[in-house]
Amino acid sequence: MLEKLCNLDATSGDEGAVRDFIISKIDGFCAWRVDNLGNIIAFKKGAKTPAKRVMLDAHMDEVGLIVTSITTEGFLKFSTVGGIDTAALMFRNVKINGKTNGVICGKPIHMLSADERKKLPKEDSLYIDIGAADREDALKFVNIGDRAVICGECSINDGMLLSKAIDDRAGCAILIDILKRDSEYDFYASFSVQEEVGLRGAKTAAFAIEPDCAIIIESTTAADIAGVSEEDKVCKLGQGPAVSFMDKATVYDREFYNAAINSGIPCQPKSAVAGGNNSGAVHLSREGVRTIAISLPCRYIHSSSSVANKEDFLNTGKLVRYMLSGICSGEIK
Amino acid sequence: MDIKQKLFALSERDAVGNIDEASLFAHDVLNDVCKTERQNNLTVIGFLKGESDYTVMLDAHIDQIAMVVTDIDDNGFLTVSNAGGIDIRALPSRRVTVHGKEKITAVFCSVPPHLAKDEVEYSDIAKLKVDTLLGKKAKEIIAVGDFVTFNVKARELVGSRVAGRSFDDRAGVACVLEIAERLSERRLPVNVAFTLSDAEELGLRGAVTASFKVNPDEAIALDVSFGDGIDIKKEECGELGKGAMIGFAPVLDSEISKKLEAIAKQKGIAYQTEVMSAKTGTNADVISVSKQGVRTGLVSIPLRNMHSAVETVDIKDLESVCDLICEYILAGGVHSD
Repeated sequence: MLEKLCNLDATSGDEGAVRDFIISKIDGFCAWRVDNLGNIIAFKKGAKTPAKRVMLDAHMDEVGLIVTSITTEGFLKFSTVGGIDTAALMFRNVKINGKTNGVICGKPIHMLSADERKKLPKEDSLYIDIGAADREDALKFVNIGDRAVICGECSINDGMLLSKAIDDRAGCAILIDILKRDSEYDFYASFSVQEEVGLRGAKTAAFAIEPDCAIIIESTTAADIAGVSEEDKVCKLGQGPAVSFMDKATVYDREFYNAAINSGIPCQPKSAVAGGNNSGAVHLSREGVRTIAISLPCRYIHSSSSVANKEDFLNTGKLVRYMLSGICSGEIK
Repeated sequence: MDIKQKLFALSERDAVGNIDEASLFAHDVLNDVCKTERQNNLTVIGFLKGESDYTVMLDAHIDQIAMVVTDIDDNGFLTVSNAGGIDIRALPSRRVTVHGKEKITAVFCSVPPHLAKDEVEYSDIAKLKVDTLLGKKAKEIIAVGDFVTFNVKARELVGSRVAGRSFDDRAGVACVLEIAERLSERRLPVNVAFTLSDAEELGLRGAVTASFKVNPDEAIALDVSFGDGIDIKKEECGELGKGAMIGFAPVLDSEISKKLEAIAKQKGIAYQTEVMSAKTGTNADVISVSKQGVRTGLVSIPLRNMHSAVETVDIKDLESVCDLICEYILAGGVHSD
């Protein structure tokens, strides 16, 4: 299922394909509705109603591109939606609107000066070529405002995941799985939109759900690669989900953090104050929400070739379920 | 198999160093229509008998740009060197195939967001490591000297345009295979030799030995040339969809260039001209000085994003090249002139 989820395209603000897929999977297992922004808000009836209302969240959107204009020659000018390194754009296959093939084109290396070869081009000098003869021809297939993603088909091999959009389809897959299981306690879930453009969907979802506590299921950067010093690695593949104590958007609930780290389930601290996720929006909702973020470590995040470990994925799900039942039962104070 | 199918099949097979998938495929296709043999690593040579002793050689290079493994660390990260000109700025987070004991899908490391700097200097491919996803197991499967190629499939764009890896010069190879098929059904005024030569990207090497072997009276190289695009001067490129690019250059035989143009005009085949002021940077440069000298022409296919994983061509241009070369051969080249 993770493979199917990753292969769907859902640039921020255009999450329909992922939303439809998720609804098809959770329908019948919980009550759900789609709010004004496009979030799926689900309620799972359990055997008991807990003292504290818990919200689980994963975001449906991924980083991508938006077409901003079309040249007379038929090339598409675009902006990035969410943070993408320019190197990850150069000479890539893209898919527009989930159907039209294109490539990000550029000057061949033969025509570059020695200086140009060393520096990344400016993002706004890049264009998409769909093969159109001119602007009129291009308009038969695409339009301004259309979204595109960098192609990166999911492959699962030898316990490793290689795909675009592992951030955060991994979280979506885990959340779907939890909603399909019988639950001891009632809980709420949001599959939220527009995380990559400023944690927007989770803001309205949290307002609607009105939770006491929240568990954000995410994917986070793992820099356990050649040439990166030990203290800059943030987290490592194969050592379980990363649990955040603080990032650029949130100082996390210390009790929840300690409970996760001491759970006995393989996990690791996210050992850098970097990045941010829907916790930033959720923990400030209404009068404040106690929040934990549990993330799948992911190399080359926000690229078409993110890499994660299958065992980590399973342990992420396990740790989320452990925290959900502990908070609901009151064992985790 | 139509010409697009040929191109896609050739693109998904690699040919560099000891990796000969594309050569094997091309050999089998060519062997169906004419006597075909292999020379050295990758070179494929086919021969069609005509009604005179005059031989025209058609050449396209079968090799491709690639990389080669120079080091493997204990955690499964590779250092590579390039084999042919590669824009290393476009490598981070790109998927590649490592041709080890088995084919491994690997990824070029990218800079993690929290360590990103405003200005990164891309000057040394050896600094960009390749993640095999294999950890310690990498050394069991991969060895220094193994080749690394882009891992991307050819795709259709809109209209008749397509994008993929190694179109430089599999587009030329696809044309040679198509031309051989068409000519094999005709009575030919001259002999035609088809050479799909190795190691062009490493300095026009394979065409040296291939043309020595064939010893032609006349040759035409089929290669790709710069296609139009953003920020590319009109006078330095051909236009996609506007037909075969007929080369004019000091190192080329001007009678051949003129005859190619005359035939294109006469038969209504789409063409454009490409003028170079010295050498051409293609196999034509070395074929023309083989043995006692060979009268040589050059016909190119305009191609965007050269040496990237998304080289883009218009199938109509490949058709124009095939139409033009077939008519040219049926007219006897410059033999009868």
